[in-house]
Amino acid sequence: MSFSSLNAYSGGLFSLIYSAGPVAKAVMLILLIFSIVSWAIMFVKFRQYGRTEREGERFFRAAREADSFKKLITIYRDSPENSFYRLILACYKEITKRQKENNPDIRPETIPIIENAMKITISEESTRLERRLSFLATTANASPFIGLFGTVWGIMDSFREIGVRGTTSLAVVAPGISEALIATAMGLAAAIPAVLAYNYFSGRLKRIVSRMENASLYLINLIGK
Amino acid sequence: MREEAWYRMLVISCVIHIFVIAAFSIPFKKTSKRFDVLSSYSVNLVGQLGGSGGAIGAGQAEKGLPEKPAPVAPARAKRPAPIKKPAKEEVSLSKKKVAAREKTTKEELSRLEERIRDMKKKADYLDVSGTKTAAAGGRGGTGAGAPGLPFGSEGGGKPLDPATQKYILDIWDKVKSAWGVPGMTYKKDLETIVIIRIRKDGRIVDINIEKRSGNRIYDESILRVLRAVDPLPPIPASLNTDSMELGFRFLPGDLS
Repeated sequence: MSFSSLNAYSGGLFSLIYSAGPVAKAVMLILLIFSIVSWAIMFVKFRQYGRTEREGERFFRAAREADSFKKLITIYRDSPENSFYRLILACYKEITKRQKENNPDIRPETIPIIENAMKITISEESTRLERRLSFLATTANASPFIGLFGTVWGIMDSFREIGVRGTTSLAVVAPGISEALIATAMGLAAAIPAVLAYNYFSGRLKRIVSRMENASLYLINLIGK
Repeated sequence: MREEAWYRMLVISCVIHIFVIAAFSIPFKKTSKRFDVLSSYSVNLVGQLGGSGGAIGAGQAEKGLPEKPAPVAPARAKRPAPIKKPAKEEVSLSKKKVAAREKTTKEELSRLEERIRDMKKKADYLDVSGTKTAAAGGRGGTGAGAPGLPFGSEGGGKPLDPATQKYILDIWDKVKSAWGVPGMTYKKDLETIVIIRIRKDGRIVDINIEKRSGNRIYDESILRVLRAVDPLPPIPASLNTDSMELGFRFLPGDLS
């Protein structure tokens, strides 16, 4: 397909982009990259959060079945990728350390130490789950402005064109403006899904973190038994 | 999240974007292409006959134009009746009927078309009209290339005097000889109408595209040619005017 044979005004999106100026093209390229990366993050996060939520459900099911921490460790096995399993591992490590130092019994003063260890794990896990989510917020905030920059530049160009040609007919001005506006359109197209996804995922992340906090309390209860 | 999964998602996202962009581009292009086909299918027949040929004839018949070059004027005066008739019918006919009719009167029509093209070539000095005439005559005045009147302010319905006509023909010859239609647009059915304002010394002070062909390359070639021929020969003193507005209609066939 030769680009030059495309009609700039009746052609589609592609020819409109092709006929735009270099600044508008650069802007659109940046926006395209933003959009691609933010969609990739959405897919990754969707899977990651879904998996973590399923893991949480499995953990609570196992915790309800088990009547002690020891039994929970024996019936609940998972990969170390699992956030809830990491919680148990942190708990278990702390307990074994205490047991080696002192005696097999868990004393009341070791409970806060275990609690702290689990808090650290929760915070680490939430940081891990939150990774790259900020890029969605960046896309949501920045890409309309980037698009707007392309539009303003394009309109500047088309006004200069009016000056050069000496005509103010709509036929001279309109194509430049329509080329310019596509940058804003693309900025919005990148930003809107990113805003929606950011809000959705941060809500989901909050739920996951609160579930992990519940799980840590549940574990403390089990240890006390 | 493991890094490999992240890269895989990036690739998937990339592919989806390509698909979305393609989906946005293709339907637009298809409609525009279909439009092209339609226009070449019926407009060649109807548009040229009704739009240009017929209107030219009508405009001429009304005004009479005694100063017209002898061979051109009578030929045009005769033409309208046979041309207009099929044109009007064709407009109301459906595609099928047009096709059927095309078969029966194919020879006749092609002959007519040939003649019209000849006429056009002869008469392609094109429209010369002042702002007033353009406004009053509307589309018929400019679009049809009917010989309107120079000197916007004087306007009215005065016919062209020979000196003006000669001057305009000179300009058109100059423009035409400098104009090269871009190769790929040559076959298309394109029409661009440009109004230029000429100062007394022949400088073009204003170029205004009245009607775009829709093809940017084609329009650009015309603007380029108009810039290239600037300055035009000065307006003859005998015309006694400070500036002049001329309308040109550019058709790809002008070069052949």
